[in-house]
Amino acid sequence: MAKISNRFWFMLHGWVSLPIWLLFCFICITGTVAVVSHEITWLTNPQSRAVNPDDLPAKPVSELMTIVEERYPSAAVTGAMTFESYLVNVVMFSDTDKPFAMAYVNQYTGEIQQINQGITFIGFMRSLHSWLLFPWRGGYSVGYYLVCSMALFMLASLVTGLIVYKRFWRSFLTPKLRIHQGRKTLLADLHKLSGVWSIWFIAIMSVTGLWYLVQAIFWHADIDIEPHAPLIEAAQLPVIQKGDTSSATASVSFAEALTLAQTRFPEFKASYVTKPEHSRDMYHLSGSGDHLFYDQYSYNLSINPWTGEVASASSPETMTGIQTLMHIADPLHYGTLGGIWTKFIWFIFGLILSGMSITGFMMWGLRNVRAFKQAEEKYLATEMLGEMR
Amino acid sequence: MALVRSIWWNKNKYKLSGLILLFPIVFLYQSLTPKFPPAWPAQQLGEFKVSPLPLDLKAPYVHHDDFVKDFMVIFEEGEISNMRQGYANIGVEALPMSILQRSENGILHGNKHGQHVHAIAAKQLNATDSLWVSIQNWQGEWSVARWPLPPELLP
Repeated sequence: MAKISNRFWFMLHGWVSLPIWLLFCFICITGTVAVVSHEITWLTNPQSRAVNPDDLPAKPVSELMTIVEERYPSAAVTGAMTFESYLVNVVMFSDTDKPFAMAYVNQYTGEIQQINQGITFIGFMRSLHSWLLFPWRGGYSVGYYLVCSMALFMLASLVTGLIVYKRFWRSFLTPKLRIHQGRKTLLADLHKLSGVWSIWFIAIMSVTGLWYLVQAIFWHADIDIEPHAPLIEAAQLPVIQKGDTSSATASVSFAEALTLAQTRFPEFKASYVTKPEHSRDMYHLSGSGDHLFYDQYSYNLSINPWTGEVASASSPETMTGIQTLMHIADPLHYGTLGGIWTKFIWFIFGLILSGMSITGFMMWGLRNVRAFKQAEEKYLATEMLGEMR
Repeated sequence: MALVRSIWWNKNKYKLSGLILLFPIVFLYQSLTPKFPPAWPAQQLGEFKVSPLPLDLKAPYVHHDDFVKDFMVIFEEGEISNMRQGYANIGVEALPMSILQRSENGILHGNKHGQHVHAIAAKQLNATDSLWVSIQNWQGEWSVARWPLPPELLP
């Protein structure tokens, strides 16, 4: 088999990365900001901070939902979300004058600190990074495919880059950054050094990105990775006698559903919960447990509001291989697995990766500036010769 | 000359992918200023007076093994909590309960301030099709209303 030349690998490195460098750079930057979007929100919006001067225990989300219901009697509370301990809990609701609103409730004091009706910074950054705000319809977004496909280019850039950069491991032992030998040398050293020290990060981003691509195909093909939440049989719903104009109400409250969830999974910490959207719907509770590598939605329960039956329950112990992949991808991609410190590490390496696409393009630019100038001079000379004749 | 003509291209070709980044601006504007087709005339179904509003004029799409078309269902009269079940489908007739009750497609959902539905439809809408909304109250009584499809919704 003929040996492929280093020049070929170098050209391939350029082919897979240069045409998309600007888009890739944007996706890297938005992802880098998205990683610390919770912390930026905490810094910029004092109402989002869960201040706890009296060291009170966190109230359960069911209590926070009741607080919102009492404050806004005409509201319909639809669900709640919890985040890091230093951020408020969010209770989602609609009201006569609010089609969709989020109450920022301090989980320690129970105070409603803000009502947010617009798009949040966290939601905006994550949507911008994940699908470039391209609309979703029929289970897919072109933007989501575009972003996920970057994983293929990133993986190809990593592999070809390492093939071109012979003995790259030397950068770990004797890192080289020549700052006084011209811009070209500095850029090349920066690009190589960043690349070698980011191998682990690029590999994680590529692999999780490829998983997101697979997941997008599953969504598009209407294939459920996790079984769809069960629907209550219509026959199970009560029927009220004719002449009685009252309506039936569920006998199990959300607080009771939360207790049932914690009985089933003692380590369960609610992170996203929703109330039934129709009479045949259930309470849906998603949360995290004690598993380091799993996301905050790795425990899932559907609880029948009419009977209190736990109709379905899943946890890391019962997951299939593909479900496990689904639940470990996010902590690896977002860097949330070790809390705020790993997020900052991911943030720094996100900046480095964004910088690599810029240094890569600058290297291409410097390499070609002379060629462009020569071509322009040649064109001028040809023109002048033509005029003289 | 060929080389000279390609100079601009050679200089800028690697910046063109950045043009894709104009789309997020457009889509952000669209999401901040949503526009919907007009709501259809309200009809009485027992104690409820409802008016469907299609979310767009596009063809049905596949959602969990059915083709569906999304509507917002505005309740002008009647308490939504008095509804035991509600469904919507598009076709020449209202689907029987045995079919409507089999999955979440076609079920009216939301909260007391508004309802939404993925109305079960065929792949392609026809002039003979109508939107059918079927609502059952807690006393077990069904009411059905029909809206002929407007021409702008037909292919």
